[in-house]
Amino acid sequence: MPCDSLRHHRRVDLRVTRDPPGGVPVSRESALGAASGGATARERRFRWLVDPRLVTTALASVAVVVAAGLVQVSFGAYSMTLGQAWAAVFDPDVIFNRQAWNAFLLGGELPEMSQESLIVWNIRLPRVVVGAIVGMNLAVSGAIFQAVTRNELASPFILGVSSGAGLMILLVLVVFGGLAAFLPLVAAVGGAAAFLIVYAIAWKNGTSPIRLVLAGVIVGTVFGSVQTALFFFADDIGVVQSAIAWTTGSLSGTDWEQVRMVLPWSAVAILLAIAGSRQSNVMLLGEQTAKSLGMSIEKVRFALSGVAVLAAAASIAVAGIVGFVGLIVPHVVRNLVGSDYKKVIVGCLFVGPALLVGADVGARLALNPVQVPVGVVTGLVGGPYFLYLMRKQNSMGEI
Amino acid sequence: MARRASGTRPRNRTGNAGSGESGVGPTGTGAASGLRGEDLVLRYPSMEAPVIDGERLVATPGAVTALVGPNGSGKSTLLKGLARQLAPEEGSVLLDGRDVHSMGTKELARKLGLLSQESTSPDSITVEDLVYHGRYPHRGFFETLTEEDRHAVDRAIELAGCGHLRDREVGSLSGGQKQLAWVAMVLAQDTDVLLLDEPTTFLDLHHQLEVMDIIGALRDESDITVVVVLHDVEQAARLADEMVALEDGDVRARGTPEEVVTEELLADVFRIDAEVERTDRGPRITPLRPRHGGGGDAVEADSPPTDAPRIE
Repeated sequence: MPCDSLRHHRRVDLRVTRDPPGGVPVSRESALGAASGGATARERRFRWLVDPRLVTTALASVAVVVAAGLVQVSFGAYSMTLGQAWAAVFDPDVIFNRQAWNAFLLGGELPEMSQESLIVWNIRLPRVVVGAIVGMNLAVSGAIFQAVTRNELASPFILGVSSGAGLMILLVLVVFGGLAAFLPLVAAVGGAAAFLIVYAIAWKNGTSPIRLVLAGVIVGTVFGSVQTALFFFADDIGVVQSAIAWTTGSLSGTDWEQVRMVLPWSAVAILLAIAGSRQSNVMLLGEQTAKSLGMSIEKVRFALSGVAVLAAAASIAVAGIVGFVGLIVPHVVRNLVGSDYKKVIVGCLFVGPALLVGADVGARLALNPVQVPVGVVTGLVGGPYFLYLMRKQNSMGEI
Repeated sequence: MARRASGTRPRNRTGNAGSGESGVGPTGTGAASGLRGEDLVLRYPSMEAPVIDGERLVATPGAVTALVGPNGSGKSTLLKGLARQLAPEEGSVLLDGRDVHSMGTKELARKLGLLSQESTSPDSITVEDLVYHGRYPHRGFFETLTEEDRHAVDRAIELAGCGHLRDREVGSLSGGQKQLAWVAMVLAQDTDVLLLDEPTTFLDLHHQLEVMDIIGALRDESDITVVVVLHDVEQAARLADEMVALEDGDVRARGTPEEVVTEELLADVFRIDAEVERTDRGPRITPLRPRHGGGGDAVEADSPPTDAPRIE
């Protein structure tokens, strides 16, 4: 009997005792004290956040954002010393002024403040804030798409979002000039519409990751061609430059208005992404396992994709199509904290801003006074990073 | 307390094969779940002809039913049909008398678990986290873990004997250890019916026996209904209360291992000449040589294909 020796440890009660119908489950803990039981449950709920790798990642990212932000606020057309600029950042008259925050976040009237504070808080700082939010959005969006397609080479723009947005941007700039005031909204809507087209093309008794990606390529190719063709109809170099800034992503000229525009959508998308992280985790076990665990896979896939598209579209509305962030950041985070999506999403909320705000320093100041689109810089950083990964890892692709 | 060795377990525990068809467990109080497929026609969307064409399968409540058959005989397809992974073109799958297609996805997953042949997971997930995913159908969208979830996971890990692997990352495990982790996950699902698709294939002998042992424990100590696809006929015969032999999508024999595992059946269905020896651990098979030519025109006259037993 070769297995008898192994058997003793399996003498366990197999069934979970089910509570009687309508009865109240009474565990030993709750009998001892409901209050203490509740506290431990809550503690357990957030215990995963105290992962040292996650905390280190977050702290390092915050340091990068703060450093890059301080550099950003210190330089610009209006020259002031470092001391002046940093004093303005930490100006208590602004930080603790409700009217100022009302002006920034709700669009009220600005209170009186010094020239330096006005320039730092009203011109230079919003760009950092927008960069941070866009970084979060793109990173979270990319992370979700990588789970949905189970492919670590997926990006927020893999399902047609960028091509739809890009086409609408060109159409507005070249053909429907009257809509220019609504360009951000039109771009975001175009991205979301393209996503729906991709989904409709991929649908045939349900979808699959590979069909979604292929449909994304089809829509991207067609829309990309039309978009390129539209460049020929641009009247002047200004329109072309504007179109390029939008389609490669740029943070120049962003203001508190952009913060107000992107913040609510981002908050919704990020909360949903965190709430849906367990679904993402189960998704990573493969379609068959997810199904046999009782997941309504098509519904969850569409819902998660929808959240990711919301995040991507919101960032497109304020910064255009910034590439590579959504591709690299989830990758970096996964290498740092592991593949648990609760941690990946939270990590993305820190590393995304670090990359984008850091890259924007280069975009704004490297070729001063010329500002290049931040998407150019993220591409320049992203390419070599992927080269490094390709060399280091033997296999890439499936998560 | 007295445990029986795997070879000498009582075969009469489940009574005769038909006793469970009413869906009531043999003990009455246990209320094991019955799973039956009626007139199933199963076809993959890309295929012309159905893989399974109008077959019936009854899994006796509380017992282990093994599906055996050569490659491509439709064992896994039948299992997928039973697990609702593949919608039948005709016929129905009844779980405790209810059509599984009328059940919600989570409702079904609380009653019926499936361990697929190839399971993939991210490398950096820990065994414990993987097993917790087995609780998915028991949790709402925002629901946190309950004590019941924790107990179920502890129990599943203990039963699968992978407590020592609990904090290891799945990517660092051997194939056999991985399989134990996956078995623990599907056990944590805490279902009445468990479908296992070739759980021992590609495993070393030790882990094959580990997995067999878990299934044996499920049979002896719980009223979980198990349907398992096995490649190894001898293994299946040793493990199962009931066996179903498939060939080309047709059920060629069903009954107890002693009834099903015969030299005639091996010649007819598996196309091998073999000696079958009765032992107190079930039939022992000594494969001799492959049979050539179509299954229909048998080379030797002493084993006409019509001799295959059909037990109903």
